[in-house]
Formats: sequence, structure tokens, C-alpha cells
Amino acid sequence: MGSLTGSMLMAANALLVQQGALQATSNNIANANTPGYSREVPILTEATPVVEGNLAFGRGVNLQQIASVRDQLLQFRLYDETQQQGNADAQVSNLTQIENQFSSSTSGIGTDLTAFFNSLNQLATSPTSSSQRQAVLAAGNTLANDFQGTVAQLDGIKQNLNQNVVQSVNQINTLTGEIAKLNTQVSTLQNQGRDPGATEDQRDELIRQLSQITEITAIPTTEGLTITTGNGVPLVVANQSYSLQATPDASGAEQIHSQGQNVTSTLQGGQLGGLLSVRDQFLPTVTASLDNLAGGLAANFNAAQAQGFDLSGNPGQAFFSATAGAGAAASFKVAITDPSLVAASSDGAAGSNGNIANLAAVQTQKLASGETPLDAYAGIVFSVGNATAQAQAASQASTLGLQQVTDQISSVSGVSLDEETTNLIRFQHAFEAAARVITTVDQLTQTVLNMPST
Amino acid sequence: MRVNPNPANDILAAIQTTQAQEQTALLQLSSGKRVNTPSDDPSASASEIRNQATEARIDQYLQSVSSLQAQMQTADSTLNSVVTTLNQAVSLGVEATNGTLSDSNKAQIQQQIQGIIGSVVQLANTSFQGAYLFAGTNTTEQPFTEGAGGVTYSGNAGSNSVAIADGRSLQSSVPGSQLFQQPGSDVFGSLQQLSTALQSGTADDINTATAAVSAALNYLSGQRVFYGTALNQLNDDQTNLNQVTVNLKSQDNSLVGADPTKVATQLSQAETAHQAALAAAAKILPESLLDFLPIN
Repeated sequence: MGSLTGSMLMAANALLVQQGALQATSNNIANANTPGYSREVPILTEATPVVEGNLAFGRGVNLQQIASVRDQLLQFRLYDETQQQGNADAQVSNLTQIENQFSSSTSGIGTDLTAFFNSLNQLATSPTSSSQRQAVLAAGNTLANDFQGTVAQLDGIKQNLNQNVVQSVNQINTLTGEIAKLNTQVSTLQNQGRDPGATEDQRDELIRQLSQITEITAIPTTEGLTITTGNGVPLVVANQSYSLQATPDASGAEQIHSQGQNVTSTLQGGQLGGLLSVRDQFLPTVTASLDNLAGGLAANFNAAQAQGFDLSGNPGQAFFSATAGAGAAASFKVAITDPSLVAASSDGAAGSNGNIANLAAVQTQKLASGETPLDAYAGIVFSVGNATAQAQAASQASTLGLQQVTDQISSVSGVSLDEETTNLIRFQHAFEAAARVITTVDQLTQTVLNMPST
Repeated sequence: MRVNPNPANDILAAIQTTQAQEQTALLQLSSGKRVNTPSDDPSASASEIRNQATEARIDQYLQSVSSLQAQMQTADSTLNSVVTTLNQAVSLGVEATNGTLSDSNKAQIQQQIQGIIGSVVQLANTSFQGAYLFAGTNTTEQPFTEGAGGVTYSGNAGSNSVAIADGRSLQSSVPGSQLFQQPGSDVFGSLQQLSTALQSGTADDINTATAAVSAALNYLSGQRVFYGTALNQLNDDQTNLNQVTVNLKSQDNSLVGADPTKVATQLSQAETAHQAALAAAAKILPESLLDFLPIN
């Protein structure tokens, strides 16, 4: 049979449960704008009824758990999209810097090349004019300065990339250390049968930050989450984190080591992957193309010089000097300072311009790469522009992808203030009603107690 | 399905997108170019580099053409003066064959012929911007010197050519030896011959010498045609090159130029989209259940 005391106790428990539910709601409202926060829901269950004869009396409500609402699969997708965006953004910002070196259509190596050969054509109209010989030298120097300047700028970008690599490695180490600690906390809480939601939120947020820096794989195991790089270099295993070390190699390029092994080439994705791909793959091809252009131009032009004679009738000497092969662009300079040494003459007479045709022909002479100097330069501009455009497209795509996943996660785990307000009202009403039950039972008890005794 | 309760990020992203579109359109309008960095259109950028190099090269050809025009006009008018002077010599020679002339008259004429030799040497030594025009390629040395043994040539037989279009160059000079000392039409030789004949020769000698001067004159007039033809060619080339420049400029514009009408339309579309995004934000963001609950 039901009892007044039973009802009283049930109502008292209901008050506690609704308070708990209100607390969860209040926590949700408080964290409405916290990044990475997953909303919590009170899990209410009906208490096991007491069966007396053919009657089953309910025994009220239990607050079983305050559970975080999350979808682990969406989290993994979030890490992947974040990684892609980090990668594309790092590429865009660095490639844009490289692109800036090749952006101007009114200055730079391309314009200098044409101006240099134009100065020769102008010299052809009056081969003995010292001012026009000087102009050839000046145009050569402008070209040399721009070769050197461009290479210096690219070097600066490379150094920046190296600094960013070191920073990224430091960030990875800080994050993996934190994640390992949180891993321990999560498994402790789980072992105690408690919901580790808040700690998991923190850990998920840190993993998201980590995946912005490098591509990761997260594998849930019984001891906690194992995190490796995309290619399996361990970062966090249960409560243990494995740090990465950045050390410069002979050329000054920072190499990344894990447990003594060079893992630089295996790191892909994320900001770090973007930095490394620009530094180790893209930048070297641009530098090599510039070296090919500078070295080939110097060699061809010097060969044409040697075919002619200078103003004094001596055989033409080298006009440009440049190291052969790598470093040609950086070392490219005009080797002569005396304008009379331009070998315009083909017959040794001062007024002859016969060799200018040979000198000017270098403009259309093919370099080792099979292109004319100007085409080689246009090719560099194309590849720089193309790489930047591709990275920009990838960045836009990943922004959309990331937005979609974030929306999906938010639709599962995000706090809706309208929903919380509704819950607030529901729990408030339930609390008030439970309190009313207590006063009613109290009145009934009074009535019983005031019953006249016989 | 639960709806994403926080549309703020999406709205912000939409506003940023439309803002970026506006900026792109504005940049294109203000620069007049569709391609402002290589990544805007990599292949158009590469073509633009080639195009601009061609434009600059054509500009140079035009400059070369006008330098050559000045130089060759000087040469042409110098030769014209030589022709005039030689005509005088021929008239003097014809005058001298007149039997009524006294020896002193002949001596006078001979003096005049000597003067003519001097002025033709001077003309043949004409220089343009410091370079002798009729010295072959040895333009730094005075080519003709009048000495005891007649006029000597210290230039050479070389000649220069100047590129005036892709794959085309124009011979810019004729060596002085070819102009003034061609065997059979030797200007200085024939004048000297006339002078000697006037001093000590017979009427026949004077006749022969005058005929030789006349032959040299005809030959030189023939050589002048080289300069006339070249100048005509230069004029034609100038017109062609100017036309090519116009074509290149219009090509350049179609490669990387922005179509103002199109961009202006894009700009106004972006503006509309931007305003719509802002209006949506203004409408959605403030809405909350709390607004509708009584405050007690």
C-alpha cells in the first residue's frame, strides 16, 4: 500500500533531482559560448516500482547521470578538416609571399631581361656611344640586382618558414603533454564510473588545436586515446606523450626528429605540413628554375661576348659572372665595369655593331631547360601563380568543409539558449510541483495527526 | 534532427565572403585589371609577361628606327650636297673645254676644283653623334685625308646592320670606299684627274676627266638610292610597329584587363549580397525565447 511518508520521500528526492537538472541547465547556459563545450543533459530514470500484490507503486525519479552529448565520429572529421585548413592556410600565406616577388608586371627579372636586350639593340644604332654602352652595363646591373634581390627575398621566406617549423614543433609538444595528462584524468573518471564529459571537452579542444598543426590519427583504446601523426609517428599513447625535436641540418633547414629518427618527410597535413611542403618541395623548384635561368643566361651571353671584340678591338671578355648550377642566381653579377668592354664589334673596328646580333640572339637562345630566358621566367611566374591559386582553392574548400562539420557538431553538441530556457521552465515547474506535493502530504499528515483519538 | 543552435559563425562567414567579393570587384575596378597577382590567372600572367616583353621590344625597335632615321637622313643629305658639288665640278670641266679660255682662267678653274675636292673630303668626313658616317665600321677615325698623293681612305669596307623588327635588320651604312672610291667611279680620283688635266693637260684630257667626274657623279647618285630606299623602309616599319603596338596593347587588355561593365555589375551584385547577409544577421541574431517570456 502506498504511504504518505513514501510520497514525502519521493517528492523530496524529486526536489533534489530537479535541482540537479537545473544545475546542468545552468552549466549549459554558462558555457553557451565556450569553444569545444558539449552540452550536458540530465539523464532522468524512473525508480524501480514497489510491487504489492497486483499494484505497482512508482518510487519517483532518479538522476542517473549528467551526460555530455557528443559524436566522436564528427570529432574525428573535425580534426581532419581542421588539419586540411591549417595546411592550406599555411601554404597560402607563404606562397603569397613568394608570389609577391613575381607579381609586378612593370619591374622584376622579366622586365629587366627585355630592358637589357633592348639596351643592346639601342647600342646597335651607335656602337661607339659611351652613354649607350653605359646603358647596357646599367641594364645588366639592374638585372643582376633583381636576381640577387629575388633570391634574397626567397631566402628570407625560407628562414621564416624554419622559424615557424620550430614554433609548430614546440606547440605540438605542449599540446601532446597536456593531452597525455587529460588522458589520465579521463580514464580515472571512467574507472570511477563518472562521466568525463568536461575533461573530454578539454581534450577534444586540444586535439583540435593539435590537428591544426599537423595531421593526426586518434585511436580510442582501453587505456585512453592514442594519437599518432598521419603516418604513425606516436605523439600520445595513454598517459605518455612523445615529444618531437627540431634541429637544423647543414643547410640550416630545420629537421624534425622523433625518438632520434628524422621524421620530417613523413609529416603531412596541418600547418606544419604546409610549411614543410612549401619549404622542401615548392621553394627548391623556384630557386632551381632561377638558377637555371641565371646560369644559362650568363653562359650564353659570355659565349656571345667571346665571339666579338670590344671598343679597343680586343676579344670580348665575360660580361656576367655566375656560379654554375645551384646558387647561380644569388651570385649573378656583371663582371665588367668598363663600358668599352661590351663586345659589339665583329671585325675589331670600334664602330662595328656586327656582334650585337649575336649578343641579342641570346634573348631567343634556348637554355638547358629548353626554353628562352623570358619563357623560363614566365614559367616560374606561372608555377608560382598556379601553386598559390591551388592553395587558395584548397583553403576555400577546407573552410567550407570545416564550417559544415562545425555546424554538424554544433547541431549535436551546441547549447541552444531557447532549449535551455525551456528546460529551465520545465525543471522550475517540476521543482515547484514537488514542493507542492510536500506541503500537500504535510497537510494530509496534519489531518491524520489531528484526527480525534478515541 | 536538431538544428545548429548557433548560426552566428555561419552568418559571419557569409558576411566575410560577400565582403571579400566586394573587395575583389573594387580592386579590379580601381586597377582596371582582372589579373592583379599571378594566382588570379596563372596562365594569363605568364602570357602577359611575354606580351609586355614583346611590347617593350617593339618600343625599342621604334626607338632604333628613329635613331636610324636621323642618322640616315644626315647621310642622305650629305650625299646630296656631294652630288650638288660634283655637278658644279662637271660644269666647271665643261666650261674649261671651251677653247677660248686662257691658261690663267684654267688655273682659276683648277683652284675651284681643288676647293671642291676639299669640301667633298669634308662632306665625306661628316660624323653623326661622334661617329663618322662613311668610314665603314671604323667610325672612330676620320676616314678621308687629303695628302700629297691624293685622298686616302683609312676606313674599312665593313657595314653595320640594326635590328628593326623580330628577325629583320636593316643595313644602316655604306662604307666610304664604296661611295667615293669605287674603281671606275672614283670621286676623288676623277676630281684629281680633272685638276691635273686643267693644270697641264689637253682639251681631250679635260674632256676625259670631266666624263670621269660625271660617271662618278652618276654612280654616287645611284648609291644615294640606298639611303632613300632605307628611309622609305624605315617609315613603313614605323607605321607597322605602331600598329603592332596597338594590337599588343589590346591583346594585353583582353588577357588581364578588367571589363568595367562586368566588374561594375559584379560589384553591385556583391553589394546586394552583402546587404542581404547583414539584413539576415540583423533579423536572426537577436531572436531569443527570452524576449517573449514575461519578466517577473
